[in-house]
Amino acid sequence: MAGPSAAAYLVVSVLLFATGAFGVLIRRSPLIILLALEIMLNAGNLALLAFSRHAGNGDGQIFALTVMVVAAAEAVVGLGLIVAVSRQRVELDVDRLTSLRG
Amino acid sequence: MADFLVWVVWVLAAAALLSSGIAVVLFSNPFFSALALIVNLASLAVLYLILAAEFVAAAQVLVYAGAIVVMFLFVIAYLGGRADAPWAGGPTLQSVAAIVAAGAIAVEVVVVVALKAGDRLANAAEIPATFGSPSQIGRLFLGPHLLAFEVTSIVLLVAAVGGVILGTAVPRESRG
Amino acid sequence: MIPAAWIALFAPLGGVLVITLLGQRISRFHAGLVASGSTLVSFVCSLIAFLALLDESPGERTHYSTLWTWLSAGDLEFGAEILVDPLSVFMMLVVSGVGFLILSYAVGYMHGDPEERRYHAYKAFFVFSMLLLVQSGNLLLLLAGWGLVGLSSYLLINYWHIRATAVAAGKKAFVMNAIGDATFALALFLLIQRAGSLDFRVVFQEGIAEKSSAVAVLIALGLLGGAVAKSAQIPLHTWLPDAMEGPTPVSALIHAATMVTAGVYLIARTHVLFELAPAIQHLAGILGAMTILVAGLIALVQTDIKRVIAYSTMSQIGYMFVAVGLGAYGAGLFHLMTHAFFKALLFMAAGIVIHALSDEQDIRRMGGLARRLPFTYRAFLVGALALAAVPPFAGFFSKDSILGSAANAGTLGWALWGVAAFGAFLTALYTFRLLFIVFWGELSAFAREHLHAPGFGGLAMAWPVGVLTILAAVGGFLQVPWGWALVDDWLHPVAESAEEATGITFTFSVVATTALALAGIALAWRIWARTDPLPGRLRRRYPWAARTLEEKFYFDAAYDHAFYEPSARSAALALQYVEEPLLLRSLGELGRGVRSLSGRLSAVQTGSVRSYALALGAGAAVIALVFLLVS
Repeated sequence: MAGPSAAAYLVVSVLLFATGAFGVLIRRSPLIILLALEIMLNAGNLALLAFSRHAGNGDGQIFALTVMVVAAAEAVVGLGLIVAVSRQRVELDVDRLTSLRG
Repeated sequence: MADFLVWVVWVLAAAALLSSGIAVVLFSNPFFSALALIVNLASLAVLYLILAAEFVAAAQVLVYAGAIVVMFLFVIAYLGGRADAPWAGGPTLQSVAAIVAAGAIAVEVVVVVALKAGDRLANAAEIPATFGSPSQIGRLFLGPHLLAFEVTSIVLLVAAVGGVILGTAVPRESRG
Repeated sequence: MIPAAWIALFAPLGGVLVITLLGQRISRFHAGLVASGSTLVSFVCSLIAFLALLDESPGERTHYSTLWTWLSAGDLEFGAEILVDPLSVFMMLVVSGVGFLILSYAVGYMHGDPEERRYHAYKAFFVFSMLLLVQSGNLLLLLAGWGLVGLSSYLLINYWHIRATAVAAGKKAFVMNAIGDATFALALFLLIQRAGSLDFRVVFQEGIAEKSSAVAVLIALGLLGGAVAKSAQIPLHTWLPDAMEGPTPVSALIHAATMVTAGVYLIARTHVLFELAPAIQHLAGILGAMTILVAGLIALVQTDIKRVIAYSTMSQIGYMFVAVGLGAYGAGLFHLMTHAFFKALLFMAAGIVIHALSDEQDIRRMGGLARRLPFTYRAFLVGALALAAVPPFAGFFSKDSILGSAANAGTLGWALWGVAAFGAFLTALYTFRLLFIVFWGELSAFAREHLHAPGFGGLAMAWPVGVLTILAAVGGFLQVPWGWALVDDWLHPVAESAEEATGITFTFSVVATTALALAGIALAWRIWARTDPLPGRLRRRYPWAARTLEEKFYFDAAYDHAFYEPSARSAALALQYVEEPLLLRSLGELGRGVRSLSGRLSAVQTGSVRSYALALGAGAAVIALVFLLVS
């Protein structure tokens, strides 16, 4: 395999994932949270593809494509939610959107 | 020589990846965050190419950078991109715990990879030339993974319907 | 005969069930009729049993009948069995006969009481319990009847449960009886250990224990304890005066005629065991003598009409105890019978007086009632003469039977005779004090205001009183000195009576006691029929004596200090230090603790997505760590 071994890809992937997780946990605007979420999903994709290359198995790429589809769907719905919430003249702050508290 | 080039490209792409990721998370203006995401996705595509996943790299650029990020930008434009500084208000329990948790995950995996999996991940398998090509992807989708293929189409349909419903403004009279 | 005996036992119980189950559907009057009717059935069946026994020869007059096996544990087996023999039939007749009269009287007395049905049911239940006691064929069933009688007494003493004094009296009676029950049960344990059974046939055999051995003494002592408590003898006597809180027919039936005599019956029935421990038997006699004295003295200063009669009951039972203590079972039971007659009569007459004066019981407010209540006065007079043992009334014959036996029983006998003779003087004294104060003299101011005709209850109350008057007058002729001794003979196969004195000794005894009785009447007449200032002078001269008598010889005060106060104080301490913090408040604390804990836990559900995400992230990190470490 040209370039570094799968181990390097894994390390990069996990660092990216941690960055995305950090973003999800630390930001208050739902938009940014969704962006950070996309980063996490992509990190997962990277790991999948690294393993797929390492094992010579095409299944990993199928999986990655499926993840991409799901990420797209989720982004659509998430953004729709954000738009609907903002229409209610509610401030887009995740800390304020707590009416589902139990 | 080629190998060396690949290494250089790899390092550059990885650096861009990580820094843009941090940028996405840390920018206060969501518009800039979305732009940083584009850089992120592009560098990912480069890495995918090195991993012999051409179709996925193309899809990445087309779908992610081309469609999803554009969608984000539309919404950000529509909402006015309110800015919020993540480090406002000083270190709270939430922020400290977030750093710790994310850091813990990263450290754990790195340790595992370094200690245990390093040897086993050394030798990659030999791949045919068609690996990662559209024909192979197509063959896999319509063969062993047909179910996944069909299910993803349904998921997309549902997401589209959901997006439309959520986005439709309810007339003011019938609200409440 | 046997079926008649069973019917006699269960008829009153059937009456209770009828009254209880029909509840409001029968009128109060009919409830009373059911109760007294069932007792009448009992009496008739007892008569049948009596006549059947008469037919047989004296040696054969013992019949056991078991209905079912009541308790069976390992080797021990106790049946629900009754015994039909001279002693039990004698008691059955007394209990059901006098019981019937009193229950009929109660229909009139309790007329108009809002909870009358409950009263009649309790009364019938008592008759059943008493019959169970006297008819049982083994000691365990007797103990069951014993306990049920105590229960009925409790229920009836605080029949008017709204009154705090009545409730306290009921508790006192029950607790003191419980002491007796405990000693009784201990004696039964010992018997079971020795004999393996409590059946009369087994327990009364020879050789159950050695004479005067420790076991025999303990058994007899336990039985005596029970008898003393139930019959209100010293030292367990303080409950009886308080028991006068119950309605008058209750006092008549339970605390004069029947329940309190259960102790005498017990001693007579288990006389074999007592004869194995002569010391205890003599102790019974001594306690009886003490009671005669103490009760008689206290009665001299009582101002409540019912309490005077109550102390008189205590005193008379003392006589019975003297009798059985000296082995004169026939005499003792004879006195039991006549006492049932005239004591019930006295109570019932007193009840009529109380009713006529709108529930007033203080004799200082009465006076001169003879002219306004002539029938009652005459009945009371007959009862008083019988009680004072004036010939030819019933009490004379029975009391002289006892004293005659005492005279024949050696030094102890003579000592007891002395006390008993003085007791006769006292009896006449306080009885006629009561009569003169209540019935003679001028009509008191209170009576002038409140006296009213009895109304409906009048006739219902009158006829039983009339019957008892006749019985008190002539009932003594069953056992006439120098004539015949029907009671002794009847009871002979079961409880052989000690020999009575004959000849000069006997004549002396009779004459002496009669003279003492008449002297008592005369003194009473001098002091109270003429409102002599003597009592006032004596009281001023010897105030300590007056106070001792009024404080009932300080028995109540002593028991209060020794038993009641410590236990009340320890109960209060327990409430303060154990019950409240540990139990009452801890439950509240528990509830509050759970609430606060769940309140704190519910803080987790912030509704904030970020905190949930943080939880997820932290959880993922932890799981990864775990996987790391495990592998």
